[in-house]
Amino acid sequence: MLQAILAAGIAVGATYALIGITYNLMFSASRVMSFTAGQLGMAGGVLGALFIGRMGFPVIPGMILALAGCAIIGLVTEFVAVRPVLGALDQHLYVLSTLGLALMIQQFTAIEWSTEPQPFPRLIGIGEGGPFDEKFWLPVVACAATVGGLEYLYRRTLVGRAFLAIAEDNFAARALGLPERNLRMASYALAGVVGGLAGFASGELLLAFFANGAMLNFLGFVPVALGGLGNNRGALIGGLALGLFQQAANFLVGGVFASVAVFTVFIVVLLVAPQGLFGAPPSRRV
Amino acid sequence: MTLSRRDFALTALAASGATSLGNPARAEAEPIRIGWLAALTGPLASPSIGFDRGVRWATDEINAKGGIHGRKIELVVRDTQGDPTKAVNATQEVISRFKVHAIWGPTNSGELLATSPIMARAKMPSLVAGVVNSLIDPVKYPNAFRVTPSNNQWDAAVRNYTINVVKAKKVAVVADATGYGTAAHDDSVAGFKKAGIEVAYSGTIDPAQPDVTPDLLRMKNAGAEAIVAWTVSTGLASRIMNARAELKWDVPIVGHPVMGSGDVGKLVTKPENWDKVYIVGYKSCSFDDEGKLPPRTQAFVDAVQGKIALNDTSLWWVVSGVDSIRLIAEAVEKTGSSDSDKIIGYWNTLKAWPGLYGTYSFTPEEHNGYQTDEIVMQKANSQHDGAFSLAPGYA
Repeated sequence: MLQAILAAGIAVGATYALIGITYNLMFSASRVMSFTAGQLGMAGGVLGALFIGRMGFPVIPGMILALAGCAIIGLVTEFVAVRPVLGALDQHLYVLSTLGLALMIQQFTAIEWSTEPQPFPRLIGIGEGGPFDEKFWLPVVACAATVGGLEYLYRRTLVGRAFLAIAEDNFAARALGLPERNLRMASYALAGVVGGLAGFASGELLLAFFANGAMLNFLGFVPVALGGLGNNRGALIGGLALGLFQQAANFLVGGVFASVAVFTVFIVVLLVAPQGLFGAPPSRRV
Repeated sequence: MTLSRRDFALTALAASGATSLGNPARAEAEPIRIGWLAALTGPLASPSIGFDRGVRWATDEINAKGGIHGRKIELVVRDTQGDPTKAVNATQEVISRFKVHAIWGPTNSGELLATSPIMARAKMPSLVAGVVNSLIDPVKYPNAFRVTPSNNQWDAAVRNYTINVVKAKKVAVVADATGYGTAAHDDSVAGFKKAGIEVAYSGTIDPAQPDVTPDLLRMKNAGAEAIVAWTVSTGLASRIMNARAELKWDVPIVGHPVMGSGDVGKLVTKPENWDKVYIVGYKSCSFDDEGKLPPRTQAFVDAVQGKIALNDTSLWWVVSGVDSIRLIAEAVEKTGSSDSDKIIGYWNTLKAWPGLYGTYSFTPEEHNGYQTDEIVMQKANSQHDGAFSLAPGYA
């Protein structure tokens, strides 16, 4: 019993964490909270089911195609919904533009794909439905690989350091001659890949369903708020905690009360630590 | 030839006479206009597409025989897209602009809740295919007659099967956390409690919840002997079945017809996860142990062979569409009039009218025309040609 709750909790938690990281990647490159993060997760699942399930591609090429599709959605987000409003960040126009694009992606998927959940193919075939079934550990593996990969990128590579420089101080980075626009676009493409990977790895759990986007948008935002905006490690811990707590609440109180419990804890945490559990309080020069 | 004043007067008189004589003839040939409000596109389109095939087949059949008293049936079709706002506009349009004589549809409860008061104000004879109980009220809506079962009737059929055939003493009642699911859940729980059955678990689940193992664990730990499921979400339905298999828990699942849809078949991880799932269905559209449909339904299926596709829809939607057109036509035929009060008056006296989908009876006090004993349970994984096999326990 405990095994089942742990397996499902960690799996959905890892998915939420990956969506949280997607939010962070887009935010650190542009200071924009892009609400297409959840839709990227949805698209990862749908494109995976399309390429592998319907069109019959082998798993690896199917995954590459699905993630490439999501990277393109990331680039489109940057070009359509972010770049035009960057000049007026303080007016928060990006809320409207990214939300609008997210809705367009969702409706397009509903019309062209299906309004009913569609099956996601078995990727490897390990585990027969028990707590060690691949549907539970694939998202965890994807999450670990992403976090490790991002740590490597940021700490060991020049491009990664350039990303950090842009995130830290946009103007100073530009003054040093860093190609800010290209780096921002690369960040959005990378966010597309990470978001797509979240949906692809959890496809067997979440199914290829157009409405997953809204759910992931919402629940993927919680780890960001819990862990502190821009803090990937915080998002990871926040996501896993959210997944475990959600599954435990499903078992203990069930149904709609579980959602109430999740958001009660979320609100309480934000009241106690408004900057997130792992975020540093903002310092202001006076 | 020159036209004298006398000739002109005579010709004019003859012409006016012919015109005035022609008027009654034209009135007689005025078509019987039926407003058919269908969600033909959008996420709720599947039932309406099925109904539509039956509606058009019945209309063509009647018109091919010369219509009713020489009057052809004319369908005024409007696609509501399942949207209550569009359904309201369509209702007003067919009533005010097209002056229809009766309305069939819209075919889902959300739209009907919005359109019923409009039809009642216009005293428009209407046939209802929504399950929500409050859609039928002979005082508020004396014009509305239900030709499909109500939620109460579905509920009773599921309850009777769970108690009398499955012989469960403790049940788990689960539903999706939508408006429909919550209402169906509450009715179902109240019904079981009233019948003296212990409800060991009751709850609603968000249809987007990725894993329902914890919920099924609660049901199992509570000692439930059957799961009664009310959901219109194929995702949730299949997750319940998959979680049941993963827990190696061998209890039957009894409930909503959506659990028999082809989408669920695609979402269960193994075909056997779909076994021991029983859904609400209709005697008229069920295969017996020998794989045969009731004779009346079989005759229809034979007649439409090659003319209507039945393999991608539910047979009951199609035959219900046929019955509805025939019910309107019958009222006009028997009363010789398409006036609304005549049609409503006739339907109020209908006793055991043998349709394809069911046998309908109405009285001025009871506008739920479908008979509860015609609702049966079917095996969810047995669909072929739009119909299902009877669940175990029916002689």
